[in-house]
Amino acid sequence: MPVKMFDGNGAAVEAIRLARPGVIAAYPITPQSSIAEHLADEVANGNIDAEYVRVESEHSAMSVSIGAQLTGVRVATATASVGLALMHEVCGVAAGCRVPIVMPVVNRSLVAPWSLWCDHSDTMAERDTGWLQFYCATVQEILDLTLCAYRISEHEEVLTPSMVCFDGFYLSHSMQRVDTPTDEEAWDFVKPYVRRNMYLDPQDVMFINDLCPTVEHTEMKYQQMMGFRRAAEVAKDVFAEYKQKFGRELHTVESYMLDDADVAVVTIGSMSGTGKYVVNQLREKGIKAGLLRICMFRPFPAEEVREALKNVKVIGVVDRSSGLGAAQGPVCSEVKAALYGAGVGKVFGFVGGIAGRDISDGSFRKIFGELLDVYEGKADDCNTWFDVRDDAMNIREVEMPC
Amino acid sequence: MQMQQNMPTSTPSKRRVLGPCSHILAAAHTGSWRLERPSVDESLCIRCGTCARYCPTACITVSREGSPLSFDWTYCKGCGICANECPKKALKMIPEGSDD
Amino acid sequence: MQKIKFYGIGGQGAVTAAKILSIAVSVHQDEYAITVPAYGHERRGAPVFAHIIVDDKPVLLNCYVYEPDIVVVFDDKLIDMGVDVGEGCTPDTILVINTQSDEMIERYRSEYGFGTIYACDATGAAIANIGLSIPNSAMLGALAKTGVVSIEAVTAAVKESFGKVGEKNANAAEYAYEHTVKA
Repeated sequence: MPVKMFDGNGAAVEAIRLARPGVIAAYPITPQSSIAEHLADEVANGNIDAEYVRVESEHSAMSVSIGAQLTGVRVATATASVGLALMHEVCGVAAGCRVPIVMPVVNRSLVAPWSLWCDHSDTMAERDTGWLQFYCATVQEILDLTLCAYRISEHEEVLTPSMVCFDGFYLSHSMQRVDTPTDEEAWDFVKPYVRRNMYLDPQDVMFINDLCPTVEHTEMKYQQMMGFRRAAEVAKDVFAEYKQKFGRELHTVESYMLDDADVAVVTIGSMSGTGKYVVNQLREKGIKAGLLRICMFRPFPAEEVREALKNVKVIGVVDRSSGLGAAQGPVCSEVKAALYGAGVGKVFGFVGGIAGRDISDGSFRKIFGELLDVYEGKADDCNTWFDVRDDAMNIREVEMPC
Repeated sequence: MQMQQNMPTSTPSKRRVLGPCSHILAAAHTGSWRLERPSVDESLCIRCGTCARYCPTACITVSREGSPLSFDWTYCKGCGICANECPKKALKMIPEGSDD
Repeated sequence: MQKIKFYGIGGQGAVTAAKILSIAVSVHQDEYAITVPAYGHERRGAPVFAHIIVDDKPVLLNCYVYEPDIVVVFDDKLIDMGVDVGEGCTPDTILVINTQSDEMIERYRSEYGFGTIYACDATGAAIANIGLSIPNSAMLGALAKTGVVSIEAVTAAVKESFGKVGEKNANAAEYAYEHTVKA
């Protein structure tokens, strides 16, 4: 398998090219822009045989994508941050009409304050729109998970769109080596798109997304729920097939040094590698530390989380979005819900890495330090927000003439 | 869940479809909604076509000769916009089922 | 594991250089590298940073470099622009600097306490070989002097990254490599 060099956006474009879309509708937004640009290059250079629709907004990008895919071709689009927020309404249409679009989302903070930098507030705000969500830890995984997402989303009992989420700049602009399947190998895995549900065809008219009466609406949501239930199983089958074909293991959750761990962190996204690095450091000192990475967030792999963490005494869940007003950050809420009644150890939520603030090895050493204090009985609580400046409440001052 | 025929429509088999869509477009025959219908006074009509341009279902045809207006009763929903817009007051709305 | 931090000024190609270094190490040296570019409010003339971690096994860390083993300064004026290139450095940290002034080298040594300094007139090398004052390829040549990457890997990566002007950029890197002195 050839080794190529890609940044995260390049890997997403390569995966899309390998899946041979027929229509592309994307609107550029930092840090996704180079996906929209390079898809246009690939169409112009003849490497992708697709119609590139230059839409005027993300709302239109998703609308065009839905309409196009309903005619029976695979479509491509991608977005980030406020672009995803603008898509929100139509994201629900794609999910409810069971249009299995696969969309890379480059994680960037939502406003306000304006930011160009990474956190998960954009995709976490979409977590209940009916899309599958995968979170990548490396550039290699962006390629791998995007290819797998086509298979999972398009499965006839799933028919649910996917967001392949990866961290802005940390992955989107990080150049890494990527083992890339050949065009034929990838096509053999992804397979041609087949429309398996409703369709748009002028020869055979169908009215799609009509006003649905109350007597049927609950049932349609029930259908979507069943799609998610199947997605959890289909994902495992697809990952197994991918491993057999390409040799790389993909996960719904990834356990790292958890078998005998006393303390562990739960991570999501690009911070996970740094977390593992710190786990290795702690292990060298004889501390039984571990890590659990959430790779698939929707459907949430509750059973796997429960199984992986059942013997850990103190657990810290690191959220890269603030979860304002919630009891916990979104990842921590899910983990706690999954663990409820399982009789496992104590769980603490951590919030940080907001809008590009680095989650460094030092951050993880601090988090593990707090967890170890609880484990050793020196403390009974942790500071939820980490790496916050001491002057947080007074960072700007303005002279005002009363 | 709505059941619908597989394509083409003449194929008798049925296929399950998930989500909101329909294949039997009976509700699209907006003529069934009609409580009133337009009636034209041919002596006043100047065949200007204003009614046809305003008709939301595009169901009015204007002829140069003979009877000036014809209506597609499958789609005329009796909204009355044509009668409202006619510059010569040649159209009036009358109860569905009554004679001209 | 070697942690490297690039300091440059917008327009000098420091971020591109970091990506090319990643290619040189990963493809032409069969090791592993991760770049974490620190994008700011991009514009020409503003200070820019890039972080690269190089290792002979896959790199787990995916965060910025706080304690660099090598600091690469693309412009000697940075010392007067309020940029602390000595942040997180120890006397063991190696400095690779684009300068033609001995006085500047001494200022960097005394201000930040670098023990080992490699100096090269990379801008001059770029002008001589490419005809442009963009020193990024030349700085990679100078960086090769530290041994973290081979000059062969650098020239190969530069050639494939710059297309039509790849040859000229490779020449600039080679030229800079030969003219880098341990100050």
